[in-house]
Amino acid sequence: MPSRPQTDALRGSLDLLILKTLSIAPMHGWGISQRVQQISNGVLEVNQGSLYPALQRLEKDGLVTSDWDTTDNNRRARYYRLTTTGRRALGVELESWRRFASGLEAVLGVP
Amino acid sequence: MTWFHAARARLRLLAPRAAEARIDDELRFHIEMETQRIAREQKVGHDEARRRALATFGGVQQHRETLRDGRGTAWFSGLSLDLKLGFRMLVKYPGLTMVGGLAMAFGIWFGAVTFQMFGAITTTKLPLPDGDRIVRIQNWDRKTSQDEDRVLYDYQLWRASRSITDLGAYRDASVNLRGADGAAQSEIAAEITASAFRIDPERPLLGRVLTESDEAAGATPVVLLGYDVWTRRFDRDPQIVGRTVKLGTTFATVVGVMPEDFAFPMAHKVWLPLRLNAAGAEPRRGIAIKVFGRLANGMSLESAQAELTTIGKRLAVEHPATHAQIQPYVTPYTQLGVNNTDMLAIKGVSYFFVVVLMVVVCSTVALLLFARAASRESELLVRSALGASRRRIVTQLFAEALVLASVAAVVGLALAQFALVRLGRPYIEMNYGMLPFWVDFNLSPMTIASALALTVIGAVVAGVMPARKITRGLGTRLRAGTAGGGGVSFSGVWTAVIVTQVALTVALPAVAMLARGETKRVESYDAGFATKEYLGATLAIDGSLDETTTPEARTALEGRITASLDALRQRLMAEPGITGVTFVDALPAEDHSYRRVEVVSLPGIASRWVAAARVHPSYFDVLQAPVLRGRSFTNADLSQEARVVIVDQAFVDLVMSGRNPIGHRVRLTSGAADSNAAQLPSYEIVGVVKELGLASAAMPQREPGLYLPVVPGSQGSNKLIVHGRGDPLSLAPRVRELAATVDGALRVEKVTRLDHVTTPLIWLNSLWVRIIIGMTAVALLLSLAGIYAVLAYIVARRTREIGVRVALGASSRRVITSIFRRPLTQVSLGVIAGSVLIFVASIGVGNTTQFRGTGVGGVLTPAEVVLLGGYAIVMLGVCMLACVVPTMRALRVQPTEALRAE
Repeated sequence: MPSRPQTDALRGSLDLLILKTLSIAPMHGWGISQRVQQISNGVLEVNQGSLYPALQRLEKDGLVTSDWDTTDNNRRARYYRLTTTGRRALGVELESWRRFASGLEAVLGVP
Repeated sequence: MTWFHAARARLRLLAPRAAEARIDDELRFHIEMETQRIAREQKVGHDEARRRALATFGGVQQHRETLRDGRGTAWFSGLSLDLKLGFRMLVKYPGLTMVGGLAMAFGIWFGAVTFQMFGAITTTKLPLPDGDRIVRIQNWDRKTSQDEDRVLYDYQLWRASRSITDLGAYRDASVNLRGADGAAQSEIAAEITASAFRIDPERPLLGRVLTESDEAAGATPVVLLGYDVWTRRFDRDPQIVGRTVKLGTTFATVVGVMPEDFAFPMAHKVWLPLRLNAAGAEPRRGIAIKVFGRLANGMSLESAQAELTTIGKRLAVEHPATHAQIQPYVTPYTQLGVNNTDMLAIKGVSYFFVVVLMVVVCSTVALLLFARAASRESELLVRSALGASRRRIVTQLFAEALVLASVAAVVGLALAQFALVRLGRPYIEMNYGMLPFWVDFNLSPMTIASALALTVIGAVVAGVMPARKITRGLGTRLRAGTAGGGGVSFSGVWTAVIVTQVALTVALPAVAMLARGETKRVESYDAGFATKEYLGATLAIDGSLDETTTPEARTALEGRITASLDALRQRLMAEPGITGVTFVDALPAEDHSYRRVEVVSLPGIASRWVAAARVHPSYFDVLQAPVLRGRSFTNADLSQEARVVIVDQAFVDLVMSGRNPIGHRVRLTSGAADSNAAQLPSYEIVGVVKELGLASAAMPQREPGLYLPVVPGSQGSNKLIVHGRGDPLSLAPRVRELAATVDGALRVEKVTRLDHVTTPLIWLNSLWVRIIIGMTAVALLLSLAGIYAVLAYIVARRTREIGVRVALGASSRRVITSIFRRPLTQVSLGVIAGSVLIFVASIGVGNTTQFRGTGVGGVLTPAEVVLLGGYAIVMLGVCMLACVVPTMRALRVQPTEALRAE
């Protein structure tokens, strides 16, 4: 799996959010941004413009793949779906994110 | 499958238009969806919703740029811009384009010709269906390291091989063919088995091809004609099939005409059935044949070789006397001998030389590009200041060189195609016979690819080298703000390039002079008699198969040839206008065979190699060369017991040290280590003649020679010499006619006037001279351009300094001296280096075997020294001419302007 700097929490978290969203179902770019917002009850708001470079990066790394398809209301959109490698990467990233979050929690929890 | 998805994604991203359209569509979809959502949820109008959607998205253009950069194709659009700029540079600097382009075109031309020649000669591709599966089967004699073509016996066993099918054989059998006009003329024919027409399954234009039934003993004699023969000799007679034509002394029925491009097995134009009396064949006896076949389905060259090796081993056991040292080899059809390692070695060395030449040429072009880049230093500094990386600038300069090299490649390749097809092939075929049908001189894709690789090498040398040099420390210069103020310097490398160039320019004409001298020597070659009054021709009779299979039959054939030649001589002598006819085994000025000669009666004299010729007793009379001492040959000398020789004056001077040789006895051996030498008979020297062209025209020194008497037609003495009044070439038709009357199978070939024997050699020498002159011109042009470029740049850079000097009252002389110092040093160094090179090379040449003791090479004569010295001075002057324009420019510098430039 191509390595991505884990220290880049912001970029790492965006990738993670995208991968997680796509693990539920294939989705187009706008859909991904809506889904993230929806699931997090509006807490997490994806910077819509920076979504696409992230998708492009993930696609180049072979974690997602994309194809043209039609939406429910019959519009042409580019759908992204997770590849097997992407699914595996999601597991690894989730694990590392949890470690990072618990570490952060531990630090912040110190009175 | 990650790699697959990733590769697919990357590939898609590389197609710039499709990727752009995809980004546009995706972003548009996103904005529209977001607009609809906002309009729906926030209850605002479409325009307002769109404005908000765009705001949420954040700068569309900026994200688009990020995506574009992420695609990794920035370098691509950059390169296309660089190439465009490169083309502009070609137009903007026409001088450099001409000089640099010409030099590179020369390198590429030379490379392409070399690649194509060797590619064509060493190709393994046969332009036939299944061409790569057609093979030759040849016997190799390990003891003598030679091919053994008497394989009739082995051929029987090979036919049982399971790994090779369609096994067939042929032998060259040129024949006198009587055409529609009744004249007999020799044509290149092959006696060949019918399987050949399965190997090359081309359909005949008329009639049929040869079949197995034509090979049966007692079958009607038939002949198959080639398109060329049908056209030239029978005027494309559509009724030719079924007609009877005369071939030598026999008649044969024409069964068909083959299409124009059919020349199997080599370059043949007439085909006859090969009637092998194979049943009675004995090991390593009988006629020489070439065997071919096709690898059977599922068989490789290796498996066929393995099977043949087994057969070979069995034969070695069964027939140790003949086959102990014999090894059969299966080789691709295009490989004519078993051993081609020499050719591959020559090919490797030549390719290496081509690359070296290209690098040398391009390093000079590099100098020119460096000077141009240096004069554009401020532009490069600005680009660097605007954020261009060093790599980016190097790429730009490389692209400029690549454009120049590509234009040169087009010119070089076009000229190579012209030279090969229009000049090379006709010349080779005229002098050395037809080339095999698979040799194609048209530039092959492989040659073009190799030439393009050479082009890239040239562009790297000419572009990257100067670019790396000029961009070194660009940042420092940028900070110091010294653009145009003397940052870039022409260091040692460029001095070395110029010095080398000038040295080559000085040295190459000396080589040309040597080659020209050789040509002159060959042109003025004196054979010792009036060669232009004599006609020379090769006479040949190839016996039919039956006549050559047994020793007795061969002796009978020789007897027939002798009788025919004697009859021809009688008939010719009876002709008005013909004053002499004689026979010899090699024409004067041609290469003769050499024998090691030991003077038995003078043991103190070391044995040495002597050129030998076998001549008819009438030889010296016909050549009007009187015997100086002793006597001439008589017919009595033709008997086996006579054992007499006549030597030439060079033999007297060089072997006998001036002693009278008459009555002395010599022994002739074929080599130094002949163990039976003592048992060999000795020959008595009975006469001395002047030198009559026994030393080939290619040999620069005097060679001793001797003559042995011979019965015409025996022991290879099949060259006819005719002396007549008027132009000897006008006798040629009559000679052919009489030969055909005397013996229908007697072929008259290679008719030439004796003073034309050396023409091919002269042509080759003058070609060599022309190539060297071309190289000298390129070297000279490059030196001049290099010196000019460097000097022009230096003057431009020192404008201010010169202005100040002039303002402070410096005289023109001082200004000129200061400018001239550098080029003068460089050119002088070059001239000295070139002269040393000539000196060393001439000593070297003088010590080679070919030129030792000939006065060629060695210590130069005073006249040559003066000539070369004069040339060096002229070179110095010409090189200085390159300095004139920049110097004039420097002298015109007005102090006020130069200072105002500040």
